[in-house]
Amino acid sequence: MWEWLKSIVSDTGIMSAVKVTFIMAVSSTAISSVLGILFGLLLERFSFPGKRIVVRINRTLMGVPPVVAGLVVYLLIMRRGPLGPLSLLFTIKGMVIAQVLIITPIISGMIYSYARKAAPSIRVFAATMGADRWQTARLIIRELRKEIYFCMVTGFGRSISEVGAVMLVGGNIKGRTRTMTTTISLLKSQGIFTEGVALGIVLLVMAFILQWICDLLQKEGEEDENY
Amino acid sequence: MRITDLEKTIGTFHMEVDDLYIEPEKIHGIVGPNGCGKTVFLKIAAGILPPDTGTVDYDGLSPRDITMMFQRPYLMHTTVYENLIYPLKIRGIRPDEEEIDRMLSRVGLKEQKRQYARSLSSGERQKLSFLRAVIFKPRMIMVDETLSNLDSESEELFAGMIGEIQKVRPVTWLIVNHQMDHICRLCDEMHYMEKGRFVKR
Repeated sequence: MWEWLKSIVSDTGIMSAVKVTFIMAVSSTAISSVLGILFGLLLERFSFPGKRIVVRINRTLMGVPPVVAGLVVYLLIMRRGPLGPLSLLFTIKGMVIAQVLIITPIISGMIYSYARKAAPSIRVFAATMGADRWQTARLIIRELRKEIYFCMVTGFGRSISEVGAVMLVGGNIKGRTRTMTTTISLLKSQGIFTEGVALGIVLLVMAFILQWICDLLQKEGEEDENY
Repeated sequence: MRITDLEKTIGTFHMEVDDLYIEPEKIHGIVGPNGCGKTVFLKIAAGILPPDTGTVDYDGLSPRDITMMFQRPYLMHTTVYENLIYPLKIRGIRPDEEEIDRMLSRVGLKEQKRQYARSLSSGERQKLSFLRAVIFKPRMIMVDETLSNLDSESEELFAGMIGEIQKVRPVTWLIVNHQMDHICRLCDEMHYMEKGRFVKR
């Protein structure tokens, strides 16, 4: 068992897949969080004609099949596509773009529904306290911090588990754009199941450790809570 | 404060206030049956809800001088202490710790100072909400049923504290209640509402 684990850790191919997955997931979660949280909160804050349609489109995009998003990004960044000259095809950057397209609507849609429930009463409270616009906005974000954190974790989970878009846009190039999920998919097609399962376990352990760290960071400020 | 030609329609509810003068630094009680528009009136007077037409003249008071207490107060997801000092924080005022401890022990919340605010009982929540509303020394305080449904001990406590505030630094109070008996002994002036209008009695 130990030897086997050691062989995995020393395998440069696997380690590179871990690294690529990690860089990609962290980048796409970070970008999607900024975009999604901002969009979700603004959508709740302002009303404008066609808002209901926007909300509905957002909800639809929450369930967009990753391969479809991957295909769209592929068409955009392929050599003859409109963004072809930027040479993003088969790069981690390209993969991140595709993932941002998948994850942002999920985060913004979740944030929107959380904010719609909580923000009106927070706004009234802030008004009675004499808070100005920025203080009110800050209070809403602070009061929704747990929900925001949860949305980010969800986004990260989507990111590391995603195969289709990453495969299409990244091209599954060994050592460069091969992620853990695309490695597993490849191993399966070669009939190498044990390594595939092992990699899956590594992936889960990684997610578990990261969540644990986030939870620890979260708890720090909230020791007083005893409910 | 003077309210003139106020109109507000929400669904089937319609409110009309031609002319109402609220004498400053006095305790005003607003009494009326459920659904007569007391809360709506209070929200408009507090500047939280915009009227359809009409004006509310605050006689020089800014929105920061006015606060409102709700029957079910909003408590932030943090400690009792942090909730209490929030209005000071947003005004950049440093809290006077001794004063805060004194206030908290007065209402019996000293022990719960570092506790999560949402773990308080509903009576304790109202006490915290009361302290939070008076701590930043507003000039006008709207009270939406906070003082109804209290046990007699808490009622005494709030009445006593309001009395003390009025002695030291008078505030304009607008206290809404659906029952007469609880507040009339506290109030300088009573107003009666019926179906969205103020009526003489």
